[in-house]
Amino acid sequence: MTEYFIECHHLQKAYQTQFAVKDVSLHVVQGEILAIVGPSGCGKTTTLRLIAGFERPDRGEIRMEGRLLSHPNRFIPPEKRHIGVVFQDYALFPHLTVYENVAFGLRNQTPEQVRGRVNEMLELVGLSGLAKRMPHELSGGERQRVALARALAPRPRVLLLDEPFSSLDMDLRLKLREEVRLLLKGIQLTALFVTHDQEEALFMGDRLAVMNQGVVQQLDRPETIFSQPVNPFVAEFMGNANFLPGRIVEEGIETEIGLIPQRVALPVGSMVEVAVRADDIGFDLSKDANGVILSRVFKGVTNVYKVRLRSGLVLEAFQPHYRFFPEGQPVRIFADAGHELACFHKGVAVKEDERHLDRVTKG
Amino acid sequence: MIKTRYWLILPLMAVVLVGCASFSASSQAEDAGSLIIYSGRSESLVRPVIEQFAQVSGIKVEVRYGNTAELAATLLEEGKNSPADVFYAQDPGGLGAVANAGLLAVLPDETLEKVESRFRSAQGLWVGISGRARVVVYNSQRLQPEDLPADLFGFTDPRWKGKIGWAPTNASFQAMVTAMRQMWGEEKTRQWLLGILANQPVVYDGNTAIVAAVGSGEIEVGFVNHYYLYRFLKEQGDSFAARNHFLNNGGPDSLVMVSGIGRLAAGKNEENALKFIHFLLSPVAQQYFAAQTNEYPLVAGVQTAAGLAPLESLNAANISVDQLADLEGTLNLLRETGVLP
Amino acid sequence: MMLKDWVVAKRVGAVVASPVRGAWLYLPAALVALAMSLPLIYLIIRASTAGSSAWTWLLRFQTVQIMGQSVGLALSVMLAALILGVLLAWLVTRSDLIGRTIWSALLPLPLVIPSYVGAYLFVSFFAPRGLLQNLLEGWLGVERLPSIYGFWGAWLVLTLMTYPYVFLAARTVLMGGDRSLEEAARSLGCSPLETFWKVTLPQLRPALAASSLLVGLYVLRDFGAVSILRFTTFTRAIYLHYQSSIDRSAAALLSLVLILITVGFLVTEQRFRRSAAENPYTAVRPVELVRLGRWQILALTAIILTVVFGLILPTAVLFYWLVRGLAAGEQLGIWVSPLVGSVSVSGLAAILTILAALPVAILSVRRKNLLTKVLEKWSYLGYAVPGIVVALALVFLGANFVPRLYQTFFMLLFAYVILFLPQAMGSIQAALRMVQRSLEEAAASLGENPLRVFQRVTLPLMMPGVATAAALVFLTTMKELPATLLLAPIGFSTLATQVWGAVSEAYFARAAAPALILILTSSISMYLINHHSAIEGSSQRQ
Repeated sequence: MTEYFIECHHLQKAYQTQFAVKDVSLHVVQGEILAIVGPSGCGKTTTLRLIAGFERPDRGEIRMEGRLLSHPNRFIPPEKRHIGVVFQDYALFPHLTVYENVAFGLRNQTPEQVRGRVNEMLELVGLSGLAKRMPHELSGGERQRVALARALAPRPRVLLLDEPFSSLDMDLRLKLREEVRLLLKGIQLTALFVTHDQEEALFMGDRLAVMNQGVVQQLDRPETIFSQPVNPFVAEFMGNANFLPGRIVEEGIETEIGLIPQRVALPVGSMVEVAVRADDIGFDLSKDANGVILSRVFKGVTNVYKVRLRSGLVLEAFQPHYRFFPEGQPVRIFADAGHELACFHKGVAVKEDERHLDRVTKG
Repeated sequence: MIKTRYWLILPLMAVVLVGCASFSASSQAEDAGSLIIYSGRSESLVRPVIEQFAQVSGIKVEVRYGNTAELAATLLEEGKNSPADVFYAQDPGGLGAVANAGLLAVLPDETLEKVESRFRSAQGLWVGISGRARVVVYNSQRLQPEDLPADLFGFTDPRWKGKIGWAPTNASFQAMVTAMRQMWGEEKTRQWLLGILANQPVVYDGNTAIVAAVGSGEIEVGFVNHYYLYRFLKEQGDSFAARNHFLNNGGPDSLVMVSGIGRLAAGKNEENALKFIHFLLSPVAQQYFAAQTNEYPLVAGVQTAAGLAPLESLNAANISVDQLADLEGTLNLLRETGVLP
Repeated sequence: MMLKDWVVAKRVGAVVASPVRGAWLYLPAALVALAMSLPLIYLIIRASTAGSSAWTWLLRFQTVQIMGQSVGLALSVMLAALILGVLLAWLVTRSDLIGRTIWSALLPLPLVIPSYVGAYLFVSFFAPRGLLQNLLEGWLGVERLPSIYGFWGAWLVLTLMTYPYVFLAARTVLMGGDRSLEEAARSLGCSPLETFWKVTLPQLRPALAASSLLVGLYVLRDFGAVSILRFTTFTRAIYLHYQSSIDRSAAALLSLVLILITVGFLVTEQRFRRSAAENPYTAVRPVELVRLGRWQILALTAIILTVVFGLILPTAVLFYWLVRGLAAGEQLGIWVSPLVGSVSVSGLAAILTILAALPVAILSVRRKNLLTKVLEKWSYLGYAVPGIVVALALVFLGANFVPRLYQTFFMLLFAYVILFLPQAMGSIQAALRMVQRSLEEAAASLGENPLRVFQRVTLPLMMPGVATAAALVFLTTMKELPATLLLAPIGFSTLATQVWGAVSEAYFARAAAPALILILTSSISMYLINHHSAIEGSSQRQ
């Protein structure tokens, strides 16, 4: 079979006439954390629920270690999948204590074994003293940890986490996600992690699946997705705020803010869109101004400026925290990347093409 | 785990159900002899006499108590599959319905002949056990017997406006109206019903409620069976302000009604059923009805309760129970006049 | 079943996933529906032989009037019971009312008083020359009281005997519902009253719709109270057809008409329920009780009046009868065997009814489609006709088709289930709606199969609702008459049959003792159920 731990092939799930998941294929390697990220309504949670077995796919199949889990004609119920789930709202059983919650999934074990495992889990998440508490007596972070301990206790083959940090405050969220990542890596557990927060996804995921409108747009390592988005949606979702129209010329790409010396695998004269991140855009006060400052937001480390080009296009640009320009100030705007920029032709990423480059140089 | 507790209920339930099943199974086991009675007469009235029968005869007697009409309907639904051996009914109406469906067996002559022919079915399908007279119950603080008219027609006088209580849904009342139709004729009966209606009678659910209302003074007179009064007197003493007035005019308003019993043709215990019917007509049982329920014994030679004139001395309506069979006509008349909904 | 389920699911589309919603539940649900159809089948068989006089009676103008009276009484009792029940439930769950727990235990009790006994007690107290008038005449010289008979008497007595349906349902929701919504409303500037109106009441809506439906149907099928209080309803007319001429066909025909009226009520209830949102448990803290302040006195007055009229007064009259009878030398029997009989059959009936209601309730909440909606409504059939009709239906079917089971406990319990299933349905559905689906999914992801998920998570969380359902069925079985009289194993008696046997023959003292025992036993059972569900409820408040 394959080397993949979990495979989803062409999953489809519709509610009434609305597709929640249109065509999702993804795979997870043993021991890795795959972060599924996308805007709300993109189908990421449904994908997770399909894998967990809470929903049956209308089409497509899911395999774990080569074993068929879901298929239109075959369906293994969630309780037989050995897949742990941490829910967005934790779903702690309100009528059971912390101890009983964690012990819930432990079956066919002696009481001693159960006690040992529960204590081990509570220790792992740092809640040893709270075994007798009821869920409503816990803080948000504590509930989160109990939910994790409960999901891990029966030694699942895979852990699914559905926006597990979304209802925590910022500090706690940062702290917990680090803890959870370390913990998962420590026990080398395969995990799927759903979030709408690209930064969290970049942090948690060994690899990322970016979803939109029920389809996986790109599945790759975080760095790759960040630097080489396959389409404008991914680029934008991963923080590329600016799209500049450009035209391919011999020397590179000609744009409103000047020539970007980057060779692309397209014939001269083709129109493209260049994704320019805010930190890739600079401006100064030289005379040949091509834009004007619209607004500034001070963010501590940086000043975030909005500038308007002659064409009316508005770009976002970072400046160091000590550089202030008044609104209405005419400025010269230029690209200042120092690396390859993502470039799209008719909504599809265009890569550097060695052969094409060869041809261009030959020509 | 606390939660598993709820599921202990299931085995528990199974045990109880099995217990119930064996209870009902054992209750059907037959010894030397058994008897199943459907009694439309209330347990408080007839239980002592049935227990006495069981004791004397050694027969295992089982009784289903209920309302006469409902038990009659039950017997009709059960048809040939009824477990009942005898049907002991409060009034002839229920017996008639069961008899008309062909479910009753003819009783032997020696049983039938113990009571006057007017108190038993002409075909010999059932026999009367105890009698009760239609009377006027009056409030003894407001009225004297002399104030009361000689027959029920007298109550159509406007002077009784708002002072009368009746229970048109009651079987005995309806039997009386049937007697009126037989003896007075359709037209006079209609006149009477309309006359009483014009006096705005208070409608009650049954005889008991009327007697209670007369005693409390809510109304002054009511048309009832004679024996309810004695229970009030027994529980509440002589201060209970109601007394019976027997019209004694030989008309339909001095009708004597009976409770009766019939044997189910499909009953498995014919001999015991006949023994029981025989027992009810014995002096012992008849004496019980006379003394304890203040009803009239129907067998000659048994004393009525103290303070109650013997049946022979009553100038009761001379009409047989079979003549009272046309209930449908009575109901139509009652509905037509608006007495019944 | 599977195929049908699949087809329906496909057509309707949104089948919300939950481990506890298995398609196999259609099988038990279909069996329940089949059982519920038995009275209908019987009625159709009987009504087909109805004579022309029955039809003439049915088609008279007066009959239409009587129908109007039935419906009018049912609607007005529903309204009154709704207001009273919700008010009292709110007071005992959400306010700092003095003695909340005691009131909470006492308030459901009027449910246990058989309506014919309750009406009788009322009449003997309030009648123009009744006990009250005697008292007042002695003290104040009052000579005449307004009449209790007719519409208003029936309305009052039936309201007092049925408000516990609403009270119990509302209390369950108020104990478990999501209070963060109410807090949100308060923070958005709503006064407590506004909050109640705009937030709490909508949360209560499904429970209120279901319970006031029970009230309405109770009134529609009641015979005892309306007879004693002299208000002619359709059901009274049906009884009179049995009573006078033992005319089963006419009675069956009229019962079918009553079912049609009931269908009207069911459809209306569905409309009211529709707009209600689901109301899951969420993480909320126990909320501050509303301080009544100077309203305390008014609230206490309302509660005390209800308890006095609904419970204490009937009990007091019974005591009076008992003492008066004892003084006159009346002998009292021993009531052990009817007591044991009552409690055991009622307990079993409660358990069986809940077991029968569960599959239908789960399907109707978790798989919303036309089929489950029909299944749910179908389960109200046994409650749509007078008890005697159901009893006779089972007499007919039992004696002629399953004579081995006829007049056994199985048959009796079966009858109770048919009669009282709807009483369990509403509270179970409401409780089920409050169980958050992710909790069940969590349990499934931890390796529990659907049955175990139900047992370990869903059922414990539903316990307050199940306890309410059990209480309702238990109490109404305690007082049930027609089915008990006709279908019980021969010789079996309950407290209710004892009370009936005595009252019907004017042996008041003899009736008083079992009636008091009936009320006392039911009170103890209510207390236990209450106590239990209170504990469960409190541990659930996250």
